[in-house]
Amino acid sequence: MASNASNAGKPETVDLVKLSPEQLLQIKQEFEQEMTNIQESLSTLHGCKAKYAGSKEALESFQSNWQDRHILVPLTSSMYVPGRIKDLNNFIIDIGTGYFIEKDLEGSKDYFKRRVDYVQEQIEKIEKIHMQKTRFLNSVMSVLDLKQEAALKLHQQQQQKSEQTA
Amino acid sequence: MDKNSAALYKKMQTEVEAYQNLQKACVKVVKQRALLESQLSENKCVLDELKLLGAENKVYKLFGPVMVKQDLDESRQNVGKRIDYISKELKNSNDSLETMERDMMKHRETMTKYQQQWQVAAAMK
Repeated sequence: MASNASNAGKPETVDLVKLSPEQLLQIKQEFEQEMTNIQESLSTLHGCKAKYAGSKEALESFQSNWQDRHILVPLTSSMYVPGRIKDLNNFIIDIGTGYFIEKDLEGSKDYFKRRVDYVQEQIEKIEKIHMQKTRFLNSVMSVLDLKQEAALKLHQQQQQKSEQTA
Repeated sequence: MDKNSAALYKKMQTEVEAYQNLQKACVKVVKQRALLESQLSENKCVLDELKLLGAENKVYKLFGPVMVKQDLDESRQNVGKRIDYISKELKNSNDSLETMERDMMKHRETMTKYQQQWQVAAAMK
């Protein structure tokens, strides 16, 4: 994919110089919009990963001698009722679209580990795209800068000329 | 002459309106497609997970506030059917998006054509 992008990047850079500043600005705006979208999905993914990792950690702290152990079960985030652990080895996990599955401790840990890995994979994919877009955006900006500089110089030269003739 | 340009103006306006309406519909379809795509991937994840289960694992489905125990094979079939259905919907919205884009292109072309006619008419005056 990286080689693909570098191949695709070359003709694009050639094109960039030919484009007018207005077109460049439009491209820049479009890309910035895309970048915000990407950033948003990245932060959502990071949130998901943290949630899965948190569940996994909770399972890691479970110990086999916790049978009949007293716990406080949260009814809301600020209200708890006392409870007792009756079944140490069965967890019901939400796997999405309304489905829940019952798994033992090891199986549940394994599930969350796989979920975390999966989300991590997606994060890396999107980060790669993000990097490519950043690079492209940077080249657009540098071409835009060059064009602006050139325009400024041209303007100054014209001014000097008009001053000399005057 | 003036009558002509007025007619041309009217034609142009209907074109622009049609184009804008299409654009709005397009945005709607794109949103719908994004939703379908996320549903599809969620269902795929669920199916993958259900495939990993053995007979010893219990499966429940949440109906409103109630969890109902489900047969594993049945759940697999149900999720598979849902994936089929969502894929079909996704294909439909992709198709309609394509036709919309083609229509938009046509409208754009006629718009430029009218614009040229307008300019020619203006130059002749």
